[in-house]
Amino acid sequence: MLDLFWVEFKRSWLYLRRYPSEFVGAVVSLSILFLLLFLGARFLAGPGADFGERTEALLVGFLLWTLTIFAYNSLSFGLSEEAQTGTLEQLFLTPYGPIPLFLLRNLAGLGTQLLMLGSIALVLMLLTGARLSFPPFVVLPILTVLIGSYGLGFAMASLALLFKRVQQILGISQFLLIFLLQVPLEGSGWLAKLGYFLPLAPGAHLARQMMSAGTGLDWGLLGLAFLNGLCYLGLGLLIFSRAVRAAKRRGLLFGY
Amino acid sequence: MNAVLEATGLRKRFGSLVAVDGVSLHLAAGEVLAFLGPNGAGKTTTIKMLAGLLWPDGGQVQLLGQSPHQNPWALRHLGAVLEGNRNVYWRMTALENLVYFGVARGLRYQAAQRRARALLEQLELGAKSHTEVRHLSRGMQQKLSLAVALMHDPELLLLDEPTLGLDVESALRVESMVRELAQAGKAILLTTHQLEVAQRLASRIAIIQQGRIVLEGRTPELLGRFAGEHYLIETETPLSPAQLSHLRSLGLEGEGPPYVYHGDSDGLWRLLEALKPTPLKKVARAEVDLLEVFLKVVGRA
Repeated sequence: MLDLFWVEFKRSWLYLRRYPSEFVGAVVSLSILFLLLFLGARFLAGPGADFGERTEALLVGFLLWTLTIFAYNSLSFGLSEEAQTGTLEQLFLTPYGPIPLFLLRNLAGLGTQLLMLGSIALVLMLLTGARLSFPPFVVLPILTVLIGSYGLGFAMASLALLFKRVQQILGISQFLLIFLLQVPLEGSGWLAKLGYFLPLAPGAHLARQMMSAGTGLDWGLLGLAFLNGLCYLGLGLLIFSRAVRAAKRRGLLFGY
Repeated sequence: MNAVLEATGLRKRFGSLVAVDGVSLHLAAGEVLAFLGPNGAGKTTTIKMLAGLLWPDGGQVQLLGQSPHQNPWALRHLGAVLEGNRNVYWRMTALENLVYFGVARGLRYQAAQRRARALLEQLELGAKSHTEVRHLSRGMQQKLSLAVALMHDPELLLLDEPTLGLDVESALRVESMVRELAQAGKAILLTTHQLEVAQRLASRIAIIQQGRIVLEGRTPELLGRFAGEHYLIETETPLSPAQLSHLRSLGLEGEGPPYVYHGDSDGLWRLLEALKPTPLKKVARAEVDLLEVFLKVVGRA
């Protein structure tokens, strides 16, 4: 399994090294997207509006969203591409089984995704003047968000496996992730209560608090966020394994 | 002989279409089975069921006694070249592809590297080890696909059109590799529309038509069966008209040489007696090629 992780890791770095334009393109386009959102929000708020600390909160939210999108999208895009190029069946011939292989692939791809995220953060901090604090423990709530995102990614990959062309749904559903990442857990309203059960929401709330408001780590909420992430990962894997069975029954592993 | 592959009663239906209907295949170590049939006959569906990529509606597949549908580690015994050259990552080099798929098939990283280098040399791709696949010729990509299938040294190889689109030299190289692999004890199931390739390589033939096996047997026996009781006879010296007239009454045909005799072996011996003492150059059973057999079987079915 370690060797499999290593070749997956090498594969993701090879693609990055060999096709740097894709990396640069992603950093530039995502940075522009944030700036457009940021400037648009300022325009709507009027000339006297001062975002102050909100800029940091917006940036944290955006970076989390970007990381979530990477985790959420990559498997579905990967499966569609492999079905198109014809390598998907070769992957399903692995004795490890498709789920361990794709889990390791997700994990191995994290390195390049974090590098991309770091580059975007750096560019945006320079352009907006925002300063983010990265307390080391913030890694933990981000990890819970990632775990949940992989769960959602596996669920979406099930659709990719069965229907192949899911780019439209993927594109639209990315905006649902914004909602999940921004659900406020403060207060006693129904949305705050519901937020604890929504995917990604507890971990995102915790990370946002720690990075933009500089609050300490709430261990209780972290435990809940882990539980939430693992539940959605489990659910995603369950849906994916059912999709693999359906694809093998209906002959959908080949062709595009 | 112990079966490497044992498939019994495979059935698969897609909606109202019965793609495979009761197919059974048996393959032992060192055997090459040419699995032939017209387009849409059920070859690919059968192969995907054998590889565990498609679940049969009925029947069983055993790879060295293990079912790939129940135990994924049974796939360790199987290597497959599917869909021609579309089995490798085009953005990775030949060596990177082999190492990646070797590890994905269960090899350790170091072992995969050693094996990959050896296979690249064996396939005369050593100079292209560090070339991205998209820059390789189709023939090289095809050879690389074969190398991917061989990385983990499986006992069974499923080769779907392994020589399709190759130039003559590459096709002959792949052909000789298949022969060498069979001699080394690999069980090989081969599908191809190039029947002369199948005839040269296969120790056994199975023809599938409309989802059913309509003919199966050892290659020489099948060819012999379809050749019927035809013999070619050639003499060193010309036959005299009187001799010829007598021989024709015994069943000799044709304007010769060679002449043709159609009949059983008793009749052939009578003819040979009558030919005495004319020196004989050749007496041989008339040969039929696989194409004729295939057309007869598929046409009849």
